[in-house]
Amino acid sequence: MAPISIQLDRISKRFDHTVKGEVYAVREVSLAVEQGELLTLLGPSGCGKSTTLRMIAGFEEPDEGTISIAGKDVTHVLPNRRGIGFVFQNYALFPHLSVFENVAYGLRVQGRDGPAIARAVGDVLELVGLAHYDRQQPHQLSGGEQQRVALARAVVFQPEVLLFDEPLSNLDAKLRVEMREQIRALQKRIGITTVYVTHDQEEAMAISDRIAVMDRGEIVQQGSADQLYYRPASEFVARFIGRTNILPGRVVSAAEIEIEGLRITLATGRATGETVQLVVRPEMIELGPSAGDPVEGRIAARTFLGEKTDYLVTLGGSTLQVSATDHYRRPPLDVGQPVGVRFHPEGLHVLA
Amino acid sequence: MAAGQTASWRRVAADPALLTAILAVWILLLLFVLYPLAHLLERAFFDESGFTLEPLLASLVDSGHQAAFFNSLILATAVGVLGTALGFLFALTAVRAGLSRHWLTFLDAAALLPLVSPPFTTSIAIIFSFGPRGFITHDLLGLTNVSAYGFWSTMSAETLTYFPIAYLTLRPILAAIDPNLEEMAFSLGGSRWRIFRTVTVPLAVPGFANAFLLLFAASLADFATPLILAGNSFPVLPTQAYLQITGLFDFKGGAVLSLILLVPAVAVFLLQRAWVGRRTYVTVTGKVGQRSRSRAIAPWASALLVAACVAVAVIIIYFYALLLIASLVVAFGANNSFTLHHYEVIFTEGLPAIRDTLIIAAIGMPLGGFYGVLVGYLIARRNFPGRRAMELVAMINYALPGTIVGIAYLIAFNDPPVALTGGVLIIVACYVFRYSPTGIRATVALLQQIDRSLEEASSSLGAGSGETFRRITLPLIAPAFFAGLGVVFIRSMTAISATIFLVSISWTLITVRILENMTEMALGPAAAFSVFVIVVVFIVVAGLSAILVRLRAPAAGAAARSFLGG
Repeated sequence: MAPISIQLDRISKRFDHTVKGEVYAVREVSLAVEQGELLTLLGPSGCGKSTTLRMIAGFEEPDEGTISIAGKDVTHVLPNRRGIGFVFQNYALFPHLSVFENVAYGLRVQGRDGPAIARAVGDVLELVGLAHYDRQQPHQLSGGEQQRVALARAVVFQPEVLLFDEPLSNLDAKLRVEMREQIRALQKRIGITTVYVTHDQEEAMAISDRIAVMDRGEIVQQGSADQLYYRPASEFVARFIGRTNILPGRVVSAAEIEIEGLRITLATGRATGETVQLVVRPEMIELGPSAGDPVEGRIAARTFLGEKTDYLVTLGGSTLQVSATDHYRRPPLDVGQPVGVRFHPEGLHVLA
Repeated sequence: MAAGQTASWRRVAADPALLTAILAVWILLLLFVLYPLAHLLERAFFDESGFTLEPLLASLVDSGHQAAFFNSLILATAVGVLGTALGFLFALTAVRAGLSRHWLTFLDAAALLPLVSPPFTTSIAIIFSFGPRGFITHDLLGLTNVSAYGFWSTMSAETLTYFPIAYLTLRPILAAIDPNLEEMAFSLGGSRWRIFRTVTVPLAVPGFANAFLLLFAASLADFATPLILAGNSFPVLPTQAYLQITGLFDFKGGAVLSLILLVPAVAVFLLQRAWVGRRTYVTVTGKVGQRSRSRAIAPWASALLVAACVAVAVIIIYFYALLLIASLVVAFGANNSFTLHHYEVIFTEGLPAIRDTLIIAAIGMPLGGFYGVLVGYLIARRNFPGRRAMELVAMINYALPGTIVGIAYLIAFNDPPVALTGGVLIIVACYVFRYSPTGIRATVALLQQIDRSLEEASSSLGAGSGETFRRITLPLIAPAFFAGLGVVFIRSMTAISATIFLVSISWTLITVRILENMTEMALGPAAAFSVFVIVVVFIVVAGLSAILVRLRAPAAGAAARSFLGG
């Protein structure tokens, strides 16, 4: 295991709310980011992810807990002594400075000499694909170009860690995908420890080594994208990452459960008769002819999306989201049509 | 979320530049704001037997004083509202009417004339025009027996004199409102009038409040205009207090009277804070959108705006033409033959006053400009214990009527431990702490529109707070800095209300000489002095503008170009 680069130990941040009084923006968050890792803080707006990031950067001071970077306690260290590169949502390019001077800023502050600055800035602009933009003013650039200048500026002085605060939310969808790939490639190439904040689960899954999901100021689950997808720890995580069905299941024996009257072989380790919550992803449910099933479903809606077809299927008292990807070789199902629903044990996850 | 940064001494102590700045500002505020004020209060409320309210109560029941109190409020409110409206008219025209450079320069020059003039100039022009032997009332209309004195003439003179403050406050704010916002509202199907009401005006609200406050306070504090124009029928507090002291040598009574003026000044200040303080207006971010020429104002409305501004500009220019003519004729209205005699007078026997005034202005200008930006930055951007107290204390000398500041300085610095009376430092200090709040407010207003992330970016790139201020904040708030610089210089050349108490045999001022000339009915030299002051101020302000153009401060956009006039 790589050494720990950023360590948050039970940090909290409170705010005075005019109506609710004192509220926690961040509550007892602990987190360890390994050297060279890209960790994403993912959550809905107001969950405390940006505040956490801003505390790592030093823009906010935690009310409790400690923050260390590279083994050094920086809880009360000013942002300019932390050695962090920060990429802002609005890019925060200095409007009165050229692209070159924006990128050179951190080096000028360090007092590097002119030729060294010119070389370093030239290299990093090359790296982000803006080699000939050095004399432009920020307002002459497109959003994507401004974003790349912001990125170049944040990495040029070789910071200890790199922090991103929703860097792509001002870009259009196509550019967003392109930029996140660039960011990921650059991060891997220079091997810099990175914390990335976003509310977009797809972006998080595409870019991260590890994701920490936050809800109401607390980290509710950490893990790789597939862990979060296949083994969500809570209904919140299951619903936030991807689309999901949450279905009630009844334990009928040690090795069997029943969902809406359908029996499935699944060892839950729970007592017989107990009701459990089951996470089932739409693509893990199979629709077929209802060959003598005790209970059959009925197609309530169909949406053709190209790579897949989404169905809403009523089954007993539940409505299921189901995705089918095999209509290139089978005719699609019609609304109102009765249908057989198959669950697979591998596609069922029991919530604690 | 950024609003929640806690104010702690630990945070401040970790930042030597910040700590030094805060301590330095507090020491200055203690010495030049609180210390004189404490002395004044002591003089007003203590006699040999200790604390007493008797002089205050006696003053409050005096019906003449009550009339003066209400007159002052009515006058200040009228000047605040009309001046803000006029300033907004000019700012809107300059920013949105799509005028050519030449028209803009013309409007700027006309609007700024009153601001760069010594006191009495509008008053003199009004008397020349509307007095018993006035050019308009007597020569053109053939009226006799008219009075140019009272509420209407005082209010008109003060509005014309002070509305440029509102113009300077509102123009950069309007310029910083992205026309895209208006475009967007326009595209949503709003009528132009609706957009103006629901987008443009609300975004300019901090500017309105600032402008109204500045004008209200300026009118409350002004005694030069009412001294000449208000006459006996319309007494106001500052003149009453001034006459109490110079006429009756009743320092205690004058001090008490001017202290009453403190109540409305403080009330307006607190009202403004409560109203504007809760809203944030970030329209300048590091992300630069496409700027478009605004179509949010209809062509006929543009024409109307321009026509109104030109009408006002013509009135102002007419007044100043009168002043220029009066300085070049033997005796205006009586003997209109050409002479340069008045200028000979001011450059011979008037020379010491000219020299002293220029030295004082030259010292005060850089000090005041830097002080204003520093305090504005600390208040708007840094979080430290006592921030609000600092904001309040920094505004005191501005909000106080000039007479009270003058008397307070006179009492406080007459004797050891800090004996400054008679010297140059006392006058410079008076100007810096009395007129920098314009720069403070301009800085705060501008900073409210610059996203914090720019400073955070600088900080994350390794710059300390001092370096961030120098490299990022200062260039972005350069328009405010030069506005502060300009205002301190202009006031150093033109103010009288406070410093009339502080001049001495070794250090005197042009404005005081003008007042002396006017009381001796030597209107020619008074006019010549005024013309001289206007010319000097215009040269310096033009120089500042040239520097500003070279600095290219995009935060204020095109507003920076002709910010202080051509």
